[in-house]
Amino acid sequence: MYHYDRKGPKRGVAFYSYSAEFGLTKTLEDCFEDTYDMGAHGIEILANTHIENYPYPSDAWVENWFHLCDKYEVVPVEYGHWIDSHVIRGRELTTEESIEMLERDIRLANRLGFTVMRTKMPVINGKLEPVKNWREIIKGALPLAERMNVRMCPEIHTPSNLNGEMVRDYVDFIKETGTKNFGLNIDFSVFRTGFEEGQYRSPDYQANTPEDLIPLLPYVYCCHAKFIHMSDDFEETTIPYPAIVKVMQDYGWDGYLLSEYEGADKYDDGYEVGQTLRKQHIMLKRLLGD
Amino acid sequence: MEKQVIQSVGFRNTVENGAVIGFQFKIRLPYYRGVYLSQLMPGTLYVDGERIEKEDIVWYFKGQDYTLEEMRTDWKTHWNPTECAVLKVKKPGGLQQGYHDLKYGFCFTSSYMPPIMQDKLDPDQESFVFMPEFGKHVNERRLLIV
Repeated sequence: MYHYDRKGPKRGVAFYSYSAEFGLTKTLEDCFEDTYDMGAHGIEILANTHIENYPYPSDAWVENWFHLCDKYEVVPVEYGHWIDSHVIRGRELTTEESIEMLERDIRLANRLGFTVMRTKMPVINGKLEPVKNWREIIKGALPLAERMNVRMCPEIHTPSNLNGEMVRDYVDFIKETGTKNFGLNIDFSVFRTGFEEGQYRSPDYQANTPEDLIPLLPYVYCCHAKFIHMSDDFEETTIPYPAIVKVMQDYGWDGYLLSEYEGADKYDDGYEVGQTLRKQHIMLKRLLGD
Repeated sequence: MEKQVIQSVGFRNTVENGAVIGFQFKIRLPYYRGVYLSQLMPGTLYVDGERIEKEDIVWYFKGQDYTLEEMRTDWKTHWNPTECAVLKVKKPGGLQQGYHDLKYGFCFTSSYMPPIMQDKLDPDQESFVFMPEFGKHVNERRLLIV
């Protein structure tokens, strides 16, 4: 299996970015090749999207998966999945049913060589607070996560704040349990300072500073390198990337920055998200010096 | 797969024991991730303006038929966004040769969206705010039966 030995922040691609093209004009292999073109070595997939016949892929599919990782020098970094406990109308899944669903994903993540999971929990309100029993669900799956060597990471995404209650609850949980198998994925949308006229900004949103990351870094196993607008001279105009990367390097953080492009314009006819990703990777390559 | 939700391939009359018993067409999931069948909210189909209720449409995935009732509680069967679902409609004699206007609405719930937004979902009406990654609920297409 391919290994990438570089230490510190590393470049990767979240295949979510290809949402508008995947299955229509791009195959899974195209996403791998595009990543290879950019010289990035890590990927995040969405289990429910990119795994054929999820959650029960065939052995042949899994074999081809490892073939693609080797061919395009890619490390399977983050396995995106959902604890879909609001999957039926009328009732929430029980804690046991949710654990069963989560454990199935842990096994599959491990089978595909992933070590981090972007564990999306069902939310109960507009502040994106997770279901009340999230601690029980995670605790129930921790022993298996440990055996399978994966870290379950909820994503901290705008309008959530790094200094907010939700993050505090997650960090308290990590401290109380002492677990190394639950952590955080920081989405860089929390650092966004640039908003143009007419762009949506949640009334609950307050931008974090790059320094707000420092106390959380020991629990961060992965980041979504969210970007909104890349200028033609390859700078992100809304998120302070140089300062964020500097904090991560100065504090010795080791992990992948997975490019995630969420802009709705990627659904426009003729839009090629690969070109947008490449713009960001020129910036990241310069900042990281790789 | 075609970019449009209602696919041109797969639209035909269905024959059983030599008799035309109805018609079928294929749709793709206009969402960036797959869904469990219980997340689906099928709506109404209009063929040349004629209304066909959601209860009268059978969905077909991975070699198996599912009624609306069966789908409601099935949170184990997963519909991947790279496969099409086949929608089967009973109509003795099927559709006439020539053009037909199909209009079909469906949508799906998402665990990570605030419940208040989920409660207002209507398969036959677009959401208040259109988000391209959830697709449009109601899709139309004019297709030929041979």
